[in-house]
Amino acid sequence: MSGKGSLLTLLLALVLGTFAACGLLSPQASFARTHPEGLSAGRPLCSECHSNETMKGGFKTFASFDHTPSFVGNHRSQAIQDSASCATCHAPAFCTDCHGGKVAMSPSVKLGDRPDRISPHRGSYLSLHRLEARMDPTGCYKCHGRANNDKCAACHRRPQ
Amino acid sequence: MKTRFRLLPLFALAAGAASGQEVSVYGSTLAQLWKSETPGFDKATYAPATQFLGIDALNLGTERLSLHLFGWGMADLADQSRYNGANGSKTQGDLSFGYLQYRFPTANAELKAGRFSVNQAVGIEQVDGLSARADLRGGFTVSAFAGQPVLYKNPLQTGHEKNDYAFQRNWIAGARIGLRVPKVGEFGLSYLQDGQNAAKDLPRPSETDYTRRQVGLDLRISPVAAFDLSGRTVFDVAKHPETPAGETKPSNIAEHDYQVSVRPTDLFALTGTVTERNYRAFYAGTNLHSLFNQHEKGKFSAYGAGLVFGTAAKLQVTADFRHTKREIYGEANRFGVDAKWAVAGTKIVAGAGIHQVSAPDAAASPDPESLRYGTSHSEARLWAMWETGKLSFSGDGIYYKFKDSTNPNLYGKDAMFELVVSAGYQATPEFKVAGDLAYGANAFAKSETRGLLRLEYRFGGPAAKGGKK
Ligand code: HEC
Ligand code: HEC
Ligand code: HEC
Ligand code: HEC
Ligand code: HEC
Repeated sequence: MSGKGSLLTLLLALVLGTFAACGLLSPQASFARTHPEGLSAGRPLCSECHSNETMKGGFKTFASFDHTPSFVGNHRSQAIQDSASCATCHAPAFCTDCHGGKVAMSPSVKLGDRPDRISPHRGSYLSLHRLEARMDPTGCYKCHGRANNDKCAACHRRPQ
Repeated sequence: MKTRFRLLPLFALAAGAASGQEVSVYGSTLAQLWKSETPGFDKATYAPATQFLGIDALNLGTERLSLHLFGWGMADLADQSRYNGANGSKTQGDLSFGYLQYRFPTANAELKAGRFSVNQAVGIEQVDGLSARADLRGGFTVSAFAGQPVLYKNPLQTGHEKNDYAFQRNWIAGARIGLRVPKVGEFGLSYLQDGQNAAKDLPRPSETDYTRRQVGLDLRISPVAAFDLSGRTVFDVAKHPETPAGETKPSNIAEHDYQVSVRPTDLFALTGTVTERNYRAFYAGTNLHSLFNQHEKGKFSAYGAGLVFGTAAKLQVTADFRHTKREIYGEANRFGVDAKWAVAGTKIVAGAGIHQVSAPDAAASPDPESLRYGTSHSEARLWAMWETGKLSFSGDGIYYKFKDSTNPNLYGKDAMFELVVSAGYQATPEFKVAGDLAYGANAFAKSETRGLLRLEYRFGGPAAKGGKK
């Protein structure tokens, strides 16, 4: 790590330590490490069990975490704000099926036995994407723009 | 190479932990076989085998300390490889994450050290370093991370280009501060800096910039469960060279992306989205400038709407519409319906969908005289899953039909399809085996057959809950 990097790291630890020391931290107990109740298969509706309560320390209702089509389609907004509550159920390995700097295979192949799951793309995408991606390459950038994309570079060498 | 050495101490730690504490090991082994027949080429066979492996070790001395590792490795067992690894090798792999985590009993405070992914700032970053988060009094939350970005070198970069990439992205740090307001929602402000050595400061000034400095604003307004507005705006705050006189200065707003959702009852919901992205700012930091072109003319904007009827437990019908506008290409509309049906009392779920895309013609090259071809198409999808005892089955078919068969990317075929069927057997609670068989035809291959054998396992640790992992 470069000098500046380690300096920042140290700073970070100091800042957190300071918060703790100053009693700035919220006194509320942390979430359970794993969700205390087993769930049935498929996407959960939190409000079925938690009704309209507000999540501890969150100021948001459990119902707003119901895994509806709109929650799933917009999960990034929730992920940015509520990583601690997601972590009660989702280990990071759940997310790496679709997100990661270097992912082994297309999510639709990895989850080939789960047609009920979402997928950024399906089918033989190497041939399909040539027809589809024109409309919106910006959506592809999120996962392919800064990641391991040597596959893509094999064809996409020159500015188009 | 480097990764493997970094891995060693972590595995040693895992082994040490295994002697006493709660250790769980999970993973899957996927063996694939690919056969494709492309007119004019020999039939090709690929046989990659992939191993995913995760280890969680809890209670390392204290119940607050834990270790989490996940990685994969792939080897191609056949002669040809569908894709060669970075330097033409037939094996590749990655440590997706490997970190020590310290969780405080209050405030959801935690520290992570090692390799992890964060999404608390602007995008998703894979970092070797340290991260921390905590809830503070008064509804504030803070999170921050710093370290070295995991680099993805492009094998086509050579010489100084390759060195520039590592030189520019020498460290990464980000932070977010959020405020939660009861009966209102949450507001966040984040900052990200990726790399510090700007391209222009290089000993040999470079055209290509891999660094980013961005500020993000995110919000969620949900005073009642029936209403939810969320989204973010990201600003590019990096210094850029002066815009030449006569040219318009590119916007410093990387993106606006907002969604509003109204759900008056559990049986009905309405969603609307708006997005706007400016290429120079949005594509900042890309390692594939030829594709994610920061100099593209104009901007990208989109809006969409969705309607959901019913619940996932029985019948759910979703209608969606999205309008996109990309200045150099034109406006496109995509709309359609999906239905998902669960048969109560049995373990059968099925779905169907149909979508229409009407899109403008595209030019085969920037040359205005060149051939133009249509990209409009329709797509249909039909799938089902059935579970009975220890057995499970699924089927998934998609079909594409293109309007303009002169599109050069179709190689004369105006339809494509893929059908995937799968059967699985949950042998024990820890162990599942499944086989997928895919068959299809597309522009590249007259026929493509893909077989996949999947072994999934999980040993030790608490029984799977929620999202399994
Ligand atoms: C099958 C019923 C059920 C469903 C569905 C369910 N939960 Fe829970 N959840 C529980 C029970 C029971 C508890 C433990 C008691 C409690 O803390 O209320 C719990 C606890 C939690 C906790 C930990 C609270 C703490 O104090 O540690 C969180 C966070 C949580 N649930 C979030 C969710 C979210 C988010 C969803 C939807 C994605 C959800 N739950 C869906 C039953 C459920
Ligand atoms: C109470 C447990 C629980 C909590 C809390 C929870 N989820 Fe989920 N989530 C699930 C389950 C269960 C599934 C379904 C997994 C499956 O189908 O295999 C799921 C599925 C998902 C999916 C994938 C949907 C698909 O069809 O592929 C995403 C994305 C997701 N959750 C994101 C989040 C985010 C982001 C958060 C935090 C804001 C969160 N979840 C919180 C239990 C939870
Ligand atoms: C089955 C695939 C899948 C899984 C699993 C999944 N996501 Fe996503 N994620 C997506 C897709 C698709 C998008 C892009 C959506 C869009 O275009 O807005 C996305 C977008 C995101 C983004 C926004 C990225 C950006 O740069 O704007 C974040 C953050 C994110 N997901 C977090 C998570 C987290 C955290 C989890 C695990 C709890 C998760 N996702 C699991 C498919 C997935
Ligand atoms: C949620 C993240 C995500 C989004 C969004 C996404 N992809 Fe992917 N895509 C992946 C992953 C993960 C893989 C598999 C690993 C890899 O090839 O890098 C993949 C694989 C691919 C492949 C190779 C497919 C194959 O069969 O080998 C192509 C081509 C592709 N994506 C194009 C696109 C295009 C074009 C877009 C935008 C329309 C897009 N992707 C959006 C995650 C995503
Ligand atoms: C086998 C060659 C090949 C590979 C590999 C490939 N592409 Fe493409 N891609 C193409 C072709 C051909 C087009 C269509 C160009 C045209 O129509 O002018 C295209 C178009 C695109 C577009 C639309 C570009 C635009 O500006 O309109 C995106 C985005 C894209 N590809 C992303 C990817 C990603 C991401 C990957 C890697 C995961 C990838 N491609 C891999 C051949 C390829």
